[in-house]
Amino acid sequence: MICIEVNGLTKQFGAKKVVDDLSFTLPMHTSTALIGPNGAGKTTALSMLSNILEPTSGKINMPDVKDIRSAIGFLPQYPQYYSWLTALEYMEMVANLNGLEKRSLKSECKKMLEFVGLQNAMNKKTETFSGGMKQRLGIAQAIVHKPKLLLLDEPVSALDPVGRREVMNLLKEIQQQTTILYSTHILNDAEEMTDQLLFLRDGKLVEQGSLTEVKQKFEEPRFKITFTTPEEARQFASQSTLGAIAEGIAAYVEVVDERPSMQQLLQQLAASPYKVVKVERETASLEEIFMKVAGKHAAI
Amino acid sequence: MQQFKALLLKEWRESVRSFKILWIPLVFILLGISDPLMNYFMEDILQAVGNMPDGFMMTMPEFQPADLLIASTGQFQTIGLLVLITAYIGSVSRERQNGTATLLYVRPISFTALFFSKWIVASTIAIISALAGYAGSMYYTALLYGTVNVTKFLAMLGTYCIWLLFVMALTVAMSAAFQTSVAATITIILIPVGLLIDTLIGGFWSITPWKLAKYGTGLLTDSVLMENYWYTLLVVLALIIVFVLIGIQMSKKNIRYLKV
Repeated sequence: MICIEVNGLTKQFGAKKVVDDLSFTLPMHTSTALIGPNGAGKTTALSMLSNILEPTSGKINMPDVKDIRSAIGFLPQYPQYYSWLTALEYMEMVANLNGLEKRSLKSECKKMLEFVGLQNAMNKKTETFSGGMKQRLGIAQAIVHKPKLLLLDEPVSALDPVGRREVMNLLKEIQQQTTILYSTHILNDAEEMTDQLLFLRDGKLVEQGSLTEVKQKFEEPRFKITFTTPEEARQFASQSTLGAIAEGIAAYVEVVDERPSMQQLLQQLAASPYKVVKVERETASLEEIFMKVAGKHAAI
Repeated sequence: MQQFKALLLKEWRESVRSFKILWIPLVFILLGISDPLMNYFMEDILQAVGNMPDGFMMTMPEFQPADLLIASTGQFQTIGLLVLITAYIGSVSRERQNGTATLLYVRPISFTALFFSKWIVASTIAIISALAGYAGSMYYTALLYGTVNVTKFLAMLGTYCIWLLFVMALTVAMSAAFQTSVAATITIILIPVGLLIDTLIGGFWSITPWKLAKYGTGLLTDSVLMENYWYTLLVVLALIIVFVLIGIQMSKKNIRYLKV
């Protein structure tokens, strides 16, 4: 089942294409991370999906949905509330705007606020809220109408570790009931909760796939051999036939198509006179993959 | 309707909790009572502070009750309207600028409901203020000078309320159409400055929206040609509809000014 289909989405401000020919499909009940450096066009893309920015060209389609606005929930990076309203009053207002049934509206709003952990702050004015509380209210207002698609712009970037954990746990719970698309530049968060990754750079989709697919493609495994001194590492690298590179007290050997094998490497090490502390097989973290994707396309 | 009620409640709470409902009527009351009181005690005031030379003689004009209501109207038209315009000129544009509107516009909202909620609340506060101001003015006028014909007084009040509906429709529509500062400039040029120009050289024409309040007070003394009055009233009613339509269109079109 497809939740949303995006085709050739483009936004041009003057001569600059902030989002350039973006196409992707989100299956139902999956969560997707939109990753990219600052200024990659993540916010612009999300704004177009949430109908507050008109695309220059391209199509957004949600099967079986007439008015997309009624089927999405949106949390901007810095949600702003009316300082004179309490959290509950605010929730009631947005629930009415989304046309929730009047009879159960108030209890539904209370339930949502309890779900995000604001039960004790329901009747406090939003101007007194901390950053984490504002973000949690933001999540509550985005899911009050049970949207098919939840769009979150940097949901945890501005939070401290405690707040970040709370919000991530909330999102994991929500994930079971809806489709989530969220942008982030913090890769640990993406690694934690994602079925699909979309790498955005200069408005273009440069890489796409599931976490394991992307990892496999970019992990670039290598052996790291740690010696006791930089001298030993340098000497081993110069004598080895495996194309090793010395860096500090370690030497690195790239693995291409499982060549060289561990056996070959160990044989050479055994024949050498150096003290080996550790031999390990390394793969790139998402962070390094991110840098690679960003760097690779920077040259183009 | 559900949306309209929710938005109306939100706007009403804004006006109540920011005390607009209290201080704007207070301004109008002060403006309203100042003319009857000042004029009545002018002689005493001058004697107390004026330092007049001996034998200085001054004849104070003999005011009719209607003259004082006209003077109060003049106060409302300048200071009063400025206060109302500045209080509500940001009603649409400021929400766009500070980002609070974002979370409304991502929902399937009706822009008609959005505009009407803002216009109706602004107009309600304006009308409450004017009624309070006229009540203050009438109270001291009645105490110190005498009364006016009740029907004519009510006709004048009604006329002024329609004028305020027009001013607030223009204010909210401009707020929807432009950024706050631009909207404020245009509205202040169109209303208070427009009124001033109309006072200075308005003798050359007889039907403009700016003359409505003047014709309204003219009803008190039967000094207005009824034909002019009705035509002016029609023009103002038509302009209200025009600005409401402009306001709705512009709130929809200016989603692009939203801060995300």
